[in-house]
Amino acid sequence: MTVEEQIRDIIAKITRVDKSIITRESTFKEIKADSLDIVQALVAVEETFGIEIPDEEAQKFQNFGDFVSYVENRVVQEEKV
Amino acid sequence: MSLGGKLALVTGSGRGIGRAIALKLASQGADIIVNFFRHRDSAEQTAKDIEALGVKAEVIRANVGDPAKIDEMFDMIGNKFGRLDIFINNAASGVGRPVMDIDVKAWEWTMDINARALLLCAQRVVKLMEGRGGKIVSISSLGSRFVLPNYTIVGVSKAALEALTRYLAIELAPLDICVNAVAASAVETEALKFYFKEGLVKDNRQVTPAGRMVIPEDVANIVAFLCSEEAFMIRGQTIVVDGGTSVGLFALAGK
Repeated sequence: MTVEEQIRDIIAKITRVDKSIITRESTFKEIKADSLDIVQALVAVEETFGIEIPDEEAQKFQNFGDFVSYVENRVVQEEKV
Repeated sequence: MSLGGKLALVTGSGRGIGRAIALKLASQGADIIVNFFRHRDSAEQTAKDIEALGVKAEVIRANVGDPAKIDEMFDMIGNKFGRLDIFINNAASGVGRPVMDIDVKAWEWTMDINARALLLCAQRVVKLMEGRGGKIVSISSLGSRFVLPNYTIVGVSKAALEALTRYLAIELAPLDICVNAVAASAVETEALKFYFKEGLVKDNRQVTPAGRMVIPEDVANIVAFLCSEEAFMIRGQTIVVDGGTSVGLFALAGK
Protein backbone atom coordinates (compact mmCIF):
# COMPACT_ATOMS: atom_id res chain seq x y z
CA MET A 1 0.00 0.00 0.00
CA THR A 2 1.21 3.50 -0.78
CA VAL A 3 1.52 6.22 1.85
CA GLU A 4 -1.55 7.88 0.34
CA GLU A 5 -3.64 4.71 0.55
CA GLN A 6 -2.61 4.08 4.13
CA ILE A 7 -3.48 7.63 5.24
CA ARG A 8 -6.77 7.49 3.33
CA ASP A 9 -7.67 4.28 5.20
CA ILE A 10 -6.75 5.83 8.55
CA ILE A 11 -8.86 8.94 7.95
CA ALA A 12 -11.83 7.01 6.54
CA LYS A 13 -11.79 4.76 9.60
CA ILE A 14 -11.77 7.76 11.97
CA THR A 15 -14.35 9.91 10.18
CA ARG A 16 -16.41 6.95 8.92
CA VAL A 17 -16.70 8.42 5.42
CA ASP A 18 -16.46 6.30 2.28
CA LYS A 19 -12.79 6.44 1.32
CA SER A 20 -13.68 6.86 -2.34
CA ILE A 21 -14.73 10.47 -1.62
CA ILE A 22 -11.29 11.33 -0.19
CA THR A 23 -9.16 12.86 -2.94
CA ARG A 24 -5.94 14.84 -2.64
CA GLU A 25 -7.98 18.02 -3.11
CA SER A 26 -10.50 17.17 -0.37
CA THR A 27 -10.50 19.63 2.52
CA PHE A 28 -10.87 18.26 6.04
CA LYS A 29 -14.32 19.82 6.17
CA GLU A 30 -15.33 17.90 3.06
CA ILE A 31 -14.10 14.68 4.65
CA LYS A 32 -16.13 15.63 7.75
CA ALA A 33 -13.00 15.65 9.91
CA ASP A 34 -13.28 17.92 12.96
CA SER A 35 -10.31 19.06 15.06
CA LEU A 36 -10.41 15.90 17.21
CA ASP A 37 -10.53 13.67 14.11
CA ILE A 38 -7.48 15.47 12.75
CA VAL A 39 -5.52 14.97 15.99
CA GLN A 40 -6.50 11.30 16.05
CA ALA A 41 -5.47 10.94 12.41
CA LEU A 42 -2.12 12.61 13.16
CA VAL A 43 -1.50 10.22 16.05
CA ALA A 44 -2.43 7.16 13.97
CA VAL A 45 -0.27 8.30 11.06
CA GLU A 46 2.66 9.02 13.40
CA GLU A 47 2.43 5.51 14.81
CA THR A 48 2.03 3.88 11.40
CA PHE A 49 5.05 5.61 9.90
CA GLY A 50 7.19 6.06 13.01
CA ILE A 51 7.43 9.83 12.63
CA GLU A 52 6.41 12.88 14.66
CA ILE A 53 4.33 15.58 13.01
CA PRO A 54 4.61 18.87 14.92
CA ASP A 55 1.29 20.70 15.35
CA GLU A 56 2.84 23.76 13.71
CA GLU A 57 3.28 21.70 10.52
CA ALA A 58 -0.12 20.03 10.77
CA GLN A 59 -1.83 23.42 11.00
CA LYS A 60 -0.52 24.22 7.50
CA PHE A 61 -2.38 21.30 5.90
CA GLN A 62 -5.16 22.75 3.76
CA ASN A 63 -6.38 19.44 2.40
CA PHE A 64 -5.78 15.70 2.35
CA GLY A 65 -3.11 16.09 -0.33
CA ASP A 66 -1.03 18.42 1.86
CA PHE A 67 -1.15 15.85 4.67
CA VAL A 68 -0.11 13.03 2.32
CA SER A 69 2.70 15.05 0.70
CA TYR A 70 4.11 16.01 4.09
CA VAL A 71 4.16 12.38 5.25
CA GLU A 72 5.58 11.17 1.90
CA ASN A 73 8.46 13.65 2.23
CA ARG A 74 9.11 12.69 5.83
CA VAL A 75 9.07 8.97 5.06
CA VAL A 76 11.59 9.50 2.23
CA GLN A 77 13.80 11.55 4.59
CA GLU A 78 13.63 8.84 7.27
CA GLU A 79 14.64 6.20 4.72
CA LYS A 80 17.66 8.27 3.70
CA VAL A 81 18.82 8.65 7.33
CA MET B 1 11.00 23.52 51.29
CA SER B 2 13.59 21.38 49.58
CA LEU B 3 13.08 18.61 47.09
CA GLY B 4 16.78 17.84 46.67
CA GLY B 5 17.36 14.27 45.50
CA LYS B 6 13.72 13.74 44.58
CA LEU B 7 12.61 12.55 41.14
CA ALA B 8 9.40 14.01 39.69
CA LEU B 9 7.39 13.14 36.60
CA VAL B 10 5.23 15.98 35.29
CA THR B 11 2.87 14.97 32.47
CA GLY B 12 2.25 17.59 29.81
CA SER B 13 5.10 19.77 31.00
CA GLY B 14 6.30 21.21 27.71
CA ARG B 15 4.06 24.22 28.08
CA GLY B 16 1.71 26.13 30.31
CA ILE B 17 0.93 25.02 33.84
CA GLY B 18 2.92 21.78 33.51
CA ARG B 19 6.04 23.68 32.48
CA ALA B 20 5.67 26.09 35.42
CA ILE B 21 5.27 23.15 37.81
CA ALA B 22 8.32 21.38 36.35
CA LEU B 23 10.44 24.52 36.75
CA LYS B 24 9.18 25.17 40.29
CA LEU B 25 9.97 21.63 41.45
CA ALA B 26 13.35 21.84 39.71
CA SER B 27 14.08 25.15 41.46
CA GLN B 28 13.61 23.28 44.73
CA GLY B 29 16.13 20.65 43.72
CA ALA B 30 14.07 17.86 42.15
CA ASP B 31 15.19 16.08 39.00
CA ILE B 32 12.39 16.19 36.45
CA ILE B 33 10.99 13.85 33.84
CA VAL B 34 9.26 16.05 31.26
CA ASN B 35 6.42 14.23 29.53
CA PHE B 36 4.87 15.62 26.35
CA PHE B 37 2.67 14.41 23.54
CA ARG B 38 2.32 16.95 20.72
CA HIS B 39 5.05 19.56 21.20
CA ARG B 40 8.57 18.14 21.33
CA ASP B 41 10.30 21.51 20.85
CA SER B 42 8.54 22.98 23.88
CA ALA B 43 9.35 19.92 25.99
CA GLU B 44 13.02 20.11 25.04
CA GLN B 45 13.06 23.80 25.90
CA THR B 46 11.54 23.02 29.31
CA ALA B 47 14.22 20.37 29.84
CA LYS B 48 16.96 22.86 28.96
CA ASP B 49 15.52 25.42 31.38
CA ILE B 50 15.36 22.74 34.10
CA GLU B 51 18.99 21.78 33.55
CA ALA B 52 19.96 25.45 33.77
CA LEU B 53 18.68 25.28 37.37
CA GLY B 54 21.36 22.67 38.12
CA VAL B 55 19.22 19.53 38.21
CA LYS B 56 18.66 16.72 35.73
CA ALA B 57 15.92 16.56 33.11
CA GLU B 58 14.68 13.71 30.95
CA VAL B 59 12.16 14.07 28.11
CA ILE B 60 9.61 11.30 27.41
CA ARG B 61 6.93 11.36 24.74
CA ALA B 62 3.70 9.57 25.60
CA ASN B 63 0.01 10.03 24.98
CA VAL B 64 -1.46 9.43 28.43
CA GLY B 65 -4.80 8.71 26.78
CA ASP B 66 -3.32 5.44 25.51
CA PRO B 67 -2.80 2.70 28.13
CA ALA B 68 -0.02 1.07 26.08
CA LYS B 69 1.89 4.37 25.93
CA ILE B 70 1.48 4.84 29.70
CA ASP B 71 2.99 1.39 30.19
CA GLU B 72 5.87 2.20 27.84
CA MET B 73 6.57 5.44 29.73
CA PHE B 74 6.64 3.75 33.13
CA ASP B 75 8.66 0.79 31.83
CA MET B 76 11.24 3.30 30.68
CA ILE B 77 11.20 5.18 34.02
CA GLY B 78 11.39 1.90 35.92
CA ASN B 79 14.33 0.64 33.88
CA LYS B 80 16.26 3.89 33.94
CA PHE B 81 15.54 5.20 37.45
CA GLY B 82 13.80 2.39 39.35
CA ARG B 83 11.94 4.91 41.50
CA LEU B 84 9.72 8.00 41.51
CA ASP B 85 9.04 10.42 44.38
CA ILE B 86 6.58 12.86 42.84
CA PHE B 87 3.96 12.36 40.15
CA ILE B 88 2.17 15.40 38.74
CA ASN B 89 -0.86 14.42 36.66
CA ASN B 90 -1.16 17.57 34.57
CA ALA B 91 -1.62 16.55 30.93
CA ALA B 92 -5.12 17.36 29.72
CA SER B 93 -7.11 17.69 26.56
CA GLY B 94 -10.68 18.37 25.68
CA VAL B 95 -13.27 19.12 23.10
CA GLY B 96 -15.26 22.32 23.60
CA ARG B 97 -18.83 21.55 22.59
CA PRO B 98 -22.39 22.13 23.79
CA VAL B 99 -23.96 19.13 25.54
CA MET B 100 -26.06 18.16 22.54
CA ASP B 101 -23.02 17.96 20.25
CA ILE B 102 -20.99 15.61 22.42
CA ASP B 103 -20.40 12.23 20.83
CA VAL B 104 -18.79 9.05 22.15
CA LYS B 105 -15.48 9.81 20.47
CA ALA B 106 -15.13 13.25 22.07
CA TRP B 107 -16.24 11.87 25.44
CA GLU B 108 -13.76 9.01 25.40
CA TRP B 109 -10.87 11.14 24.15
CA THR B 110 -11.33 13.63 26.97
CA MET B 111 -12.11 11.16 29.75
CA ASP B 112 -9.21 8.89 28.76
CA ILE B 113 -6.67 11.71 28.92
CA ASN B 114 -8.07 13.73 31.81
CA ALA B 115 -9.44 11.10 34.17
CA ARG B 116 -8.46 7.54 33.25
CA ALA B 117 -4.79 8.54 32.91
CA LEU B 118 -4.67 9.36 36.63
CA LEU B 119 -5.90 5.87 37.48
CA LEU B 120 -3.56 4.04 35.11
CA CYS B 121 -0.54 6.21 35.94
CA ALA B 122 -1.17 5.99 39.70
CA GLN B 123 -1.24 2.19 39.48
CA ARG B 124 2.23 2.27 37.92
CA VAL B 125 3.49 5.14 40.11
CA VAL B 126 2.68 3.25 43.31
CA LYS B 127 5.09 0.48 42.34
CA LEU B 128 7.87 3.06 41.89
CA MET B 129 7.04 4.69 45.25
CA GLU B 130 6.73 1.43 47.18
CA GLY B 131 8.71 1.49 50.41
CA ARG B 132 9.66 5.16 50.01
CA GLY B 133 6.32 7.02 49.93
CA GLY B 134 5.60 9.87 47.59
CA LYS B 135 3.31 12.62 46.38
CA ILE B 136 0.69 12.58 43.65
CA VAL B 137 -0.87 15.89 42.61
CA SER B 138 -3.37 16.32 39.79
CA ILE B 139 -4.38 19.50 38.04
CA SER B 140 -8.11 20.06 37.93
CA SER B 141 -10.24 23.02 37.00
CA LEU B 142 -13.13 25.04 38.40
CA GLY B 143 -15.20 23.47 35.61
CA SER B 144 -15.46 20.36 37.80
CA ARG B 145 -17.98 22.11 40.03
CA PHE B 146 -19.12 25.18 38.09
CA VAL B 147 -20.71 25.31 34.66
CA LEU B 148 -18.65 26.98 31.93
CA PRO B 149 -19.93 27.31 28.35
CA ASN B 150 -18.97 24.39 26.07
CA TYR B 151 -16.88 22.92 28.88
CA THR B 152 -19.09 19.92 29.68
CA ILE B 153 -16.79 17.02 28.91
CA VAL B 154 -13.73 18.63 30.44
CA GLY B 155 -15.72 19.64 33.53
CA VAL B 156 -17.06 16.11 33.96
CA SER B 157 -13.59 14.60 33.44
CA LYS B 158 -12.17 16.93 36.08
CA ALA B 159 -14.95 15.98 38.51
CA ALA B 160 -13.96 12.34 37.98
CA LEU B 161 -10.33 13.30 38.53
CA GLU B 162 -11.17 14.98 41.84
CA ALA B 163 -13.25 12.01 43.02
CA LEU B 164 -10.46 9.61 42.07
CA THR B 165 -8.04 11.83 44.00
CA ARG B 166 -10.08 11.22 47.15
CA TYR B 167 -10.18 7.45 46.66
CA LEU B 168 -6.48 7.25 45.88
CA ALA B 169 -5.66 9.41 48.91
CA ILE B 170 -7.34 6.95 51.26
CA GLU B 171 -6.20 3.73 49.62
CA LEU B 172 -2.61 4.91 49.23
CA ALA B 173 -2.31 6.56 52.66
CA PRO B 174 -0.89 3.38 54.29
CA LEU B 175 1.91 3.52 51.69
CA ASP B 176 2.83 7.06 52.78
CA ILE B 177 1.67 8.44 49.45
CA CYS B 178 -0.09 11.82 49.68
CA VAL B 179 -2.65 12.41 46.93
CA ASN B 180 -4.24 15.78 46.23
CA ALA B 181 -5.38 18.04 43.41
CA VAL B 182 -5.25 21.73 42.54
CA ALA B 183 -8.13 23.34 40.68
CA ALA B 184 -7.54 26.64 38.97
CA SER B 185 -9.83 29.07 37.23
CA ALA B 186 -8.80 30.27 33.76
CA VAL B 187 -5.01 30.40 33.70
CA GLU B 188 -3.04 32.53 31.25
CA THR B 189 -1.58 29.84 28.93
CA GLU B 190 -1.48 28.81 25.29
CA ALA B 191 -4.44 26.52 25.99
CA LEU B 192 -6.47 29.50 27.19
CA LYS B 193 -5.76 31.28 23.91
CA PHE B 194 -7.41 28.28 22.27
CA TYR B 195 -10.45 28.68 24.48
CA PHE B 196 -10.55 32.42 23.82
CA LYS B 197 -10.80 31.51 20.15
CA GLU B 198 -13.54 29.02 20.96
CA GLY B 199 -15.46 31.67 22.90
CA LEU B 200 -15.27 29.78 26.18
CA VAL B 201 -13.54 32.32 28.32
CA LYS B 202 -13.79 36.05 28.01
CA ASP B 203 -11.35 38.26 29.84
CA ASN B 204 -12.13 37.19 33.39
CA ARG B 205 -10.07 39.75 35.26
CA GLN B 206 -13.23 41.63 36.17
CA VAL B 207 -14.62 38.56 37.93
CA THR B 208 -11.44 37.87 39.89
CA PRO B 209 -11.43 39.63 43.27
CA ALA B 210 -7.64 39.31 43.41
CA GLY B 211 -7.54 41.70 40.45
CA ARG B 212 -5.58 39.72 37.91
CA MET B 213 -5.78 36.43 36.08
CA VAL B 214 -4.26 33.30 37.55
CA ILE B 215 -0.84 32.60 36.07
CA PRO B 216 0.83 29.16 35.81
CA GLU B 217 3.23 30.04 38.64
CA ASP B 218 0.28 30.53 41.03
CA VAL B 219 -0.70 26.91 40.42
CA ALA B 220 2.91 25.70 40.54
CA ASN B 221 3.44 27.28 43.98
CA ILE B 222 0.56 25.29 45.50
CA VAL B 223 1.62 22.09 43.74
CA ALA B 224 5.14 22.51 45.17
CA PHE B 225 3.67 23.01 48.64
CA LEU B 226 1.58 19.84 48.28
CA CYS B 227 4.79 18.01 47.33
CA SER B 228 6.51 19.19 50.51
CA GLU B 229 6.53 17.50 53.91
CA GLU B 230 4.73 20.55 55.34
CA ALA B 231 1.62 19.35 53.47
CA PHE B 232 1.81 15.82 54.90
CA MET B 233 -1.59 16.03 56.60
CA ILE B 234 -3.46 17.28 53.52
CA ARG B 235 -5.03 14.24 51.86
CA GLY B 236 -7.54 13.83 49.07
CA GLN B 237 -8.21 17.54 48.79
CA THR B 238 -8.71 19.77 45.78
CA ILE B 239 -7.17 23.16 46.55
CA VAL B 240 -8.76 26.00 44.59
CA VAL B 241 -6.48 28.65 43.08
CA ASP B 242 -8.77 31.25 41.53
CA GLY B 243 -8.08 34.63 43.11
CA GLY B 244 -11.44 34.41 44.89
CA THR B 245 -13.57 34.03 41.76
CA SER B 246 -15.60 31.04 42.94
CA VAL B 247 -16.46 32.30 46.42
CA GLY B 248 -17.16 35.77 45.07
CA LEU B 249 -19.68 34.70 42.42
CA PHE B 250 -22.74 36.12 44.16
CA ALA B 251 -21.01 39.32 45.18
CA LEU B 252 -19.87 39.80 41.59
CA ALA B 253 -23.23 38.92 40.06
CA GLY B 254 -24.59 42.37 40.91
CA LYS B 255 -21.68 44.22 39.29
